[in-house]
Amino acid sequence: MKNFFRKVAFGLKPEEKAPSDPLTWAQKQVESIPELNWKGKHIYSEKEMRKYWITQRVEENTTLRKKYKNDPAGFRRAEKQLENDTGAKYWPTNEICMRHAEGIRSDNPVLAKLWYFWTNHFTISDTQRLPEFSTGAYHREFIRANMDKTFETMVYEATVAWPMIMHLDNKDNIGPKSKSGKEEWRRREKEPATLNENHARELMELHTISPKGGYTQEDVQELAKIMTGWRPKWSKQKDQGSDVRFMSDRHEPGTKTVLGKTYKRGSKSLKIAIKDLVNHPSCREFIATKLCRYLITDNPTQQMTAPIIKAWEQSDGYLPEVHKAAIKVAFEYNDKYKKFQNPENWWLQTINMSGSSYAYPIPEKKMDRFQLGVLVSQDLREPDWRLENIGYHPYKAKQPNGYSDISIDWLSTELIIRRLMYAKEAFHKYKIKDQLDDTIHEKIIRTNFDNPDKILKIVSKAKSNEEKHMILFNLPEVLRA
Amino acid sequence: MKISRRDFLKGSATTLFLAGFNLPALAASSKKKNLVVIMLRGGMDGLCAVPVIGDKNFEKRRKSILIENAIKLNSDFALHPKLNAFHQCWKENTGSIVHATSIPYTQRSHFEGQNLMESGGRVAYQEKTGWVGRAMNLAKLQGDGLALSLPMPLLLRGIPKNNNYFPADGRLPRKDTLDLLKSVYADSSEDELLEMMNFIKKRKDEQMMGGTGNWDKRKNRNLAKQAAVYLRKSDGPRVAVFEVNGFDTHAAQGGVDGTHTRCLVEMDDIIKNLKENLKEAYKDTIILTVTEFGRTIKQNGGNGTEHGYGTAIFMAGGLLKKSQVHTDWPGLKRKEMYEGRDLNATIDARSVYASAMSTVFDLDFKRIQKDVFWGEDLQNLSDQLFKA
Repeated sequence: MKNFFRKVAFGLKPEEKAPSDPLTWAQKQVESIPELNWKGKHIYSEKEMRKYWITQRVEENTTLRKKYKNDPAGFRRAEKQLENDTGAKYWPTNEICMRHAEGIRSDNPVLAKLWYFWTNHFTISDTQRLPEFSTGAYHREFIRANMDKTFETMVYEATVAWPMIMHLDNKDNIGPKSKSGKEEWRRREKEPATLNENHARELMELHTISPKGGYTQEDVQELAKIMTGWRPKWSKQKDQGSDVRFMSDRHEPGTKTVLGKTYKRGSKSLKIAIKDLVNHPSCREFIATKLCRYLITDNPTQQMTAPIIKAWEQSDGYLPEVHKAAIKVAFEYNDKYKKFQNPENWWLQTINMSGSSYAYPIPEKKMDRFQLGVLVSQDLREPDWRLENIGYHPYKAKQPNGYSDISIDWLSTELIIRRLMYAKEAFHKYKIKDQLDDTIHEKIIRTNFDNPDKILKIVSKAKSNEEKHMILFNLPEVLRA
Repeated sequence: MKISRRDFLKGSATTLFLAGFNLPALAASSKKKNLVVIMLRGGMDGLCAVPVIGDKNFEKRRKSILIENAIKLNSDFALHPKLNAFHQCWKENTGSIVHATSIPYTQRSHFEGQNLMESGGRVAYQEKTGWVGRAMNLAKLQGDGLALSLPMPLLLRGIPKNNNYFPADGRLPRKDTLDLLKSVYADSSEDELLEMMNFIKKRKDEQMMGGTGNWDKRKNRNLAKQAAVYLRKSDGPRVAVFEVNGFDTHAAQGGVDGTHTRCLVEMDDIIKNLKENLKEAYKDTIILTVTEFGRTIKQNGGNGTEHGYGTAIFMAGGLLKKSQVHTDWPGLKRKEMYEGRDLNATIDARSVYASAMSTVFDLDFKRIQKDVFWGEDLQNLSDQLFKA
């Protein structure tokens, strides 16, 4: 039973009392979206963060390149200083602190674990300096904030948000027959207007109906046409950093047909197309399967997905209902299936069960002392580095399909070496008093496991408290939940 | 009798197991041969890397991103001028290209394409093992795979107990800690974890990152040095897999200094460092590349290219027959192109891979064709491309 707290959240703290009704405890957490637990002062909207992105891009690509045309070393130095000025090395670590505070300090760790699921579903991969400035804010503003809305709302907002439009190149998706496409300068400058299918394809393949939806290359092109014109307006002062809007002069005229349905020209069609994709049976099946794969097992069964699909149909894809259904399924299959935890969730579970969440994430006071222009110190950058090292940086996925949820993808020599090292590091997050406390591991084990004696017996073979930590958090019982 | 692919696989696996001693496994006397696969993720543009010479159809579709000063390889093809290491292999008769080739995948999704370039199948996400892993299984090369990346690529799956190298900070735990965990994994039948513990126990502290800020150890060029050190050992791995990301240049692909070039140079550096550090073992090695698809011939408005079809394979190593551009060139007139927009593929890339593995693993081509690629219609190119 107790592993349910690890399955849908990050386990219990050493002194924490297990909730008497775990299912209700978990389901209540996804009903509404509370304020962030993080009380630091640097919490900015995606739009505010874009100012720094603009400075970085414009300075780097125009001013510095011109100034240091024949001085590569000077360019690199100036680029480093520019990164300090724009906070490029500070923001990601600050955002990760906010993200992880939700998991291990807030009253709604279940909501946090599902938030991480959705940020991976709508991955912004490592490109165009988005990880430094925009991805964290995107996750708060367009993903988390929409977790008490319908999936349709979440998809629409996630799609037209500036980071996603940039990330999937929709800024380059221009209708060849559009007004802009016919302009004289395009012929002169040899910059013809062409479709860019990237975003349209991912909207179907990754975000909504998946390849099982049975779309063709023609459907992709037609959806790309619907999406033409959704982009930031380019200007020399802002590069591509202006707000995304529908630019009708770049929009492909005429009707478009996607999966047999016809859409009119204009800005409204994208919303309608998303509504249709979200209501396609493949979409709810795809999402239900992914949720089960994240929470329960690599190979979800139809019996697992059916109640989630049903909840979706009855609530019109209202996410709190979908989440509650998924939690209930996870509860019912709790003893039968143990899911290997991905590296980030494993790390949070390790900190939370250790009870060292006073030391991680980095306290607000310390993060708030940062000033633009100054080199970010090593210890402040640790949260950022650690996730990269452990093979799961939520802002730095290599591809738009994000990280795999299949256990075998988290099993490799290197990834296991890292879990050993980070279990040790988690131990050193303790205050000295806790490091010397010989009863701490017994507390952790009795609080979190149904078979404490077996685990205690193994852990007691370790020679030191540090070693106990490394053993405990790498036992199969902890690696899986 | 008609049997489905899955049943067939299951059946053949059992038969092989039972008939184990009949396998043409490596004879004790034969030399250790190595296979290195470099996965080029994002869709490598074969026509940027190896442009066709004097084709007006090509030049006029790519005005802004044409590669200047390309090195002429023969009367029909040239080489990207930044690929110095490969050019050196070419001059030494150990560098080849297969052109107008692809895996048999014509949709244009990266994720499906990358899944298929690793699984070797035709239906995305259907197969759970990779073509290298299956062939290694056939050759009984358990424990001989090495990935130079953090997660284990699908390409190597199909045989258990592969290792990976992508160094971390800090020092390794002491032996007793590892032994204790090892015994727990053994007791709980966690076979994968157990095997990883065996690899970790062989690891040395100097193979960790050590010190602070030593991030360079994880760059592909340095991973290649370490991989070569492992590969040239007689009891070392026989297969290594690299990944180069970033070939998906929808925008700002650029010409000779563009993003696509940077990715190609990363590939070239892997070849360079492997060659230098494999030393003698280079002559018993095949290095080859894999990508999910090529790119459209026509540039788009953002000076980039879209997802295409036909592309090129780079190969290097002493087991190559000679330097050559092996191709059945389909032409670039509109009706010669795939769907009127892409370079066509006239050679199934899997024919090249099956032939290479036949050479390196000393397996009969037909067995690879049958047991790794489900008896699909592949061409045996061993005689044309590789040394016997």
